[in-house]
Amino acid sequence: MLGPIEIEVIRNALNAAAAEMDVTVWRTSRSTIVRELLDYSTAVFDAEGWNLAQSARIPGHLNSMSHALREILANFVPASEWNEGDVVITNDPYCGGQHLPDIVAYKPVYHEGRRIAFVGTLCHHIDVGGLAAGSYAAKATEIFQEGLRIPPVKVLDRGVRNDGIWAMIRQNIRKPDLLLGDLSSQLASLDVGAAALLRLARRFGAEAMIEAGNRILDMSEAGMRAAIAAMPDGTYEFTDFLDDDGIDIGKPIRLHVALTIKGDEASVDLSGCSPQAAGPTNATLASTNSAVMFALMCCADSSMHISAGCYRPITVIAPEGLVVNARHPAPVAHRVAVTHRLLGTMNGALHQAVPKLIPAAYYGNSYVTTFQTVAETREVLVEIEIGGSGAHPSKDGVNAYASGMHNNSNIPIEMIEAQLPLTILRYALREGSGGEGRFRGGLGLLREWRIDSPRCFFTSNMDRFDHPPYGLAGGGPAALGQLVLRRDGVETPIPPKTDNLPLGRGDVVRLETSGGGGFGPAEERPAAAREHDKAMGYL
Amino acid sequence: MEQRPVRIAVDIGGTFTDLQILDARHGRVVAWKTPTTPADPSEGLLIGVQEAAERFGFALADVGLILHGTTIATNAVLERKLARGVLLTTAGFEDVLEITRHFRRDLYGLAPDPLPCLIGRDLRFGVPERIRADGSVEIPLGELAPVLERLKAAKPEAIAIGLLHAYVNPAHELALRDAVQAALPGIPVSISSEISPEIREYERLSTTVLNAVLMPVVKTYLEKLEARLGEGGFSPRVFLVQSNGGMCSLARAAAQPARLLLSGPSGGALAAERLSRRLSRPNLVAVDMGGTSFDVSVVQDHRIGLVTQGEVDRLPVRLPMVEMRTIGAGGGSIAAVDASGRLTAGPRSAGARPGPVCYGRGGTLPTVTDANAVLGRFDPDFFLGGAMALDVAAARDAMAQHVGAPLALTVEAAAEGVLRVTNVQLASAVRLSLFEKGLDPREFALLSFGGAGGLHATEVADELGITEVILPREPGTLSAYGILFSELAQDLARSRLLTVEPASLPEIEATIAALREEATARLIADGVPEDQRATEIAADLRYHGQAFELLVPWPEAPNLDALLQRFHATHKARFSYAAEDEKVEIVTLRMTAIGRLPKPAETSGTAAEKRAAPGTRKVSQGGVSASWPVWRRETLHAEDVIQGPAIVEEAFATHVISAGWQAKLDPEGALIARRVA
Repeated sequence: MLGPIEIEVIRNALNAAAAEMDVTVWRTSRSTIVRELLDYSTAVFDAEGWNLAQSARIPGHLNSMSHALREILANFVPASEWNEGDVVITNDPYCGGQHLPDIVAYKPVYHEGRRIAFVGTLCHHIDVGGLAAGSYAAKATEIFQEGLRIPPVKVLDRGVRNDGIWAMIRQNIRKPDLLLGDLSSQLASLDVGAAALLRLARRFGAEAMIEAGNRILDMSEAGMRAAIAAMPDGTYEFTDFLDDDGIDIGKPIRLHVALTIKGDEASVDLSGCSPQAAGPTNATLASTNSAVMFALMCCADSSMHISAGCYRPITVIAPEGLVVNARHPAPVAHRVAVTHRLLGTMNGALHQAVPKLIPAAYYGNSYVTTFQTVAETREVLVEIEIGGSGAHPSKDGVNAYASGMHNNSNIPIEMIEAQLPLTILRYALREGSGGEGRFRGGLGLLREWRIDSPRCFFTSNMDRFDHPPYGLAGGGPAALGQLVLRRDGVETPIPPKTDNLPLGRGDVVRLETSGGGGFGPAEERPAAAREHDKAMGYL
Repeated sequence: MEQRPVRIAVDIGGTFTDLQILDARHGRVVAWKTPTTPADPSEGLLIGVQEAAERFGFALADVGLILHGTTIATNAVLERKLARGVLLTTAGFEDVLEITRHFRRDLYGLAPDPLPCLIGRDLRFGVPERIRADGSVEIPLGELAPVLERLKAAKPEAIAIGLLHAYVNPAHELALRDAVQAALPGIPVSISSEISPEIREYERLSTTVLNAVLMPVVKTYLEKLEARLGEGGFSPRVFLVQSNGGMCSLARAAAQPARLLLSGPSGGALAAERLSRRLSRPNLVAVDMGGTSFDVSVVQDHRIGLVTQGEVDRLPVRLPMVEMRTIGAGGGSIAAVDASGRLTAGPRSAGARPGPVCYGRGGTLPTVTDANAVLGRFDPDFFLGGAMALDVAAARDAMAQHVGAPLALTVEAAAEGVLRVTNVQLASAVRLSLFEKGLDPREFALLSFGGAGGLHATEVADELGITEVILPREPGTLSAYGILFSELAQDLARSRLLTVEPASLPEIEATIAALREEATARLIADGVPEDQRATEIAADLRYHGQAFELLVPWPEAPNLDALLQRFHATHKARFSYAAEDEKVEIVTLRMTAIGRLPKPAETSGTAAEKRAAPGTRKVSQGGVSASWPVWRRETLHAEDVIQGPAIVEEAFATHVISAGWQAKLDPEGALIARRVA
């Protein structure tokens, strides 16, 4: 049996493998959404598909990848059909995935004739076809409109590329060189991860690798149980809303959580959520579980090893047909909105259990804007902006801070302008957008794009335009979002869920994002903090 | 260029000022150490030189060169002892510096702190102007009177100017600088097109702002330093160590202090490069382990690697610097067991105060140093050459309480566990440094130095499959040794987006010619004679569409095919694939202007006259306490063979030679350990 020291040795090496995979994607990828915005994740799994180690990228991806791999093994490519040198990819939310732009790739690792592990890489691709560029259509009513669906399929079969799949992808999407370039980076990162695991396996042997995996999962489970046990027993409920689904405009979507803590286990009942929506504001279980797990994992000791073992003491009840467990063929492009709001709802419930840990709501939204410029060439820019973080029980929120389910960087203005007929006119903190309180919420952002090409189609998919990020313990809510078109000096609002709005040269789109909610009563804010806010022009 | 015989390298650290002195009259290199004088480090520098002159018998007037490594810029940033800066930037983009790239590093944290921002929102002013990505002017530089009024009212001590796309067209930055200097004469100004002329606005702004707010700080220091020159016939030429490992003149350092920001560890890397030649080991991975950090650098084919961006206190610094991976692991790293039963070492550190438990300065939490003490690897009465008595009993108690009890391990097993966990972290850092370049650890020797390096070296090597460990002489002042033999080096760069194809050749050649002209001008300004000048060219290359470039040295003959082959091969080595049918772009052309400093011959190290006789000590390993031989390094004879397990002690370091390893002195004075079983 391995001792605690050997376990730590192997654990450390698994983390390093995920980090090596991460560097490979970062340094070799082609599209701005992967290489600048950093919308990708890498992870290592045991032979049964349980996540053992993660890179420090997107929590929403990372805690869905085990689910997807387990689903593939159970229903699509059973264990007996995998071979050395295979890579299976899919992007299908109804086969364990999240939404179509996210293509996930898995590779098995063999040693001493046994499968000892999988490595996996997920990238958000710039476009997989469908009715709007970026495959983030706000008005789809069936998944068939959202883009190319790739069921779990071997893109590499014993090391040989299936050129038919490659060609079929190329034929169905808007920027094939970027997507296939990024997919090559994914495959390269799998090779790098597999090589790292083999180094380890040659040293410790297959049996020890499998034992270490089990022990790491147990250790994470113990950490998660300790965190839950520290919460008082009881049932905590919270409700928040998404504005709408883009089809039934103004009809809010309810997210409701009943979190029951009992001893060292947690049960999360989502039966009180709205039925699935007509538009793409829906999630499948991979997405929903990742939000619930993430909320609870954040409450643990910072030294807890993050792995699928953390999921064990947590039960999720999510009946099919609800917005948190949509039934085929519901559209799901904007699943991230559901997960952001679900995380906020979980945090609202957790605040009642562990009030010293949980911050007020962050902006709770991925501000997705897509510009498809049409001149001599067709160019696609997908931007995902963020807002401010929620005030914490002990400090102010952070201005412009990627929070919660996603973790995106911005795309440098100079990089955009060097590559597309677009000009950024302004990029600034949005004054007054943070919630008031003893501790102030972080500020959101303001970004303006000007169209420099004769034609451009604009698509946006965002939320928090009716329902602001909440404050806690008497703190105030943050500002609502704003999306505006300025044409010939006249400003008109753009609906936050818009597909293919035709724009022309000189048109300006302005986005103002929400800040974070405040914490504690505003009257209790110290005078010095108010003075500082004023001097900095944050109010 | 310099006829006086004595050259001194000075490395000013937090606690000690280390000196290495080379006297050309006999070629001997000697070391000296003196306490650092934090209020004015130049005082300690002069004291150290005076002490060394007395001790080693040279006159102050004999000193022709002082090569000076300093952490003054880095410390000023870490301690925020910086000038009051104002940032002038394109109107509408005043907040870019505070927005940063806005992703987070701690995924699961609930109480984040903002990234540092060195100029607050009230001191960032917009300027009416706009340049486009192709360098054309969309909005000419507008009325400046209002912004100049605000600027005056702000009473800045330093001014940073960073405008969008200034890396393509610096005209607006130059005009703005003229206007600012006319309005506020005497206030230092840094402009982004001079400091970091490359695409990506946040990284360029961050570098420019750092440079600006450091200018007054570094200037003050250099003035104090210059005031000390001339005293008592002491009038050497002084050069400073930059982050790229090269030296620069005081004037250059005053104008571009950001180039000093990561110079601290570069001395160690330079030493590694120097030793790689002296010891005929082309491939070395150098590790420097002290109390709080572990620095890894790689020497490949006798050359240290450079990268084009680094960071200090989470702030990007986009300037060439020695490639270095630093992790927070050292002798002071605290060992703990968390709620899930996981044993960790670091990242929390006991630092210098209170320090490890065994130092008896009030530390109560067990550290890596305590683990070494518990196992008997130190002589409790000869620690730091006898300067400090170790409280091993206290270390045992702390180890038992915080690690042994929660894991149900004996105190020795707990201490060994802490070392094992630490060694794995160190090995991971080394592996990642090599992995990034597609290199295999087994082809490298491990060069280990710093106060704590020798305790871990052979065990870390075993983790990596490395079979040779080099423990250089004077491991505590090795950085100064590296500085002693470095050159003047200045990096020039031009961002030019060009496809690698024959049609681009005229522009490539014109750019290189312009770079060469500037390089020559700078070397002339620094007084480098013609026969001592050299230039090196490199290009940042990528596949069309990628965001990150690989730095590829320019082939001897300017041949694009050779350049492409070199790029594909590097890409394949680093990232496991190459796309040979795809277009390759040049993003930036780089030139390093090198001024060679005379290289007086260095004599080899000396071994003792007669064979040494080791003592013994009880050391615990694998649950067994056994007598290990303990050797004194200064008594080692060239014929002495140290069979592991054994311990080698010297004044400021202790080395462990593990079982299965055998160590001998090299003619250069380095102790070379090899895996033999």
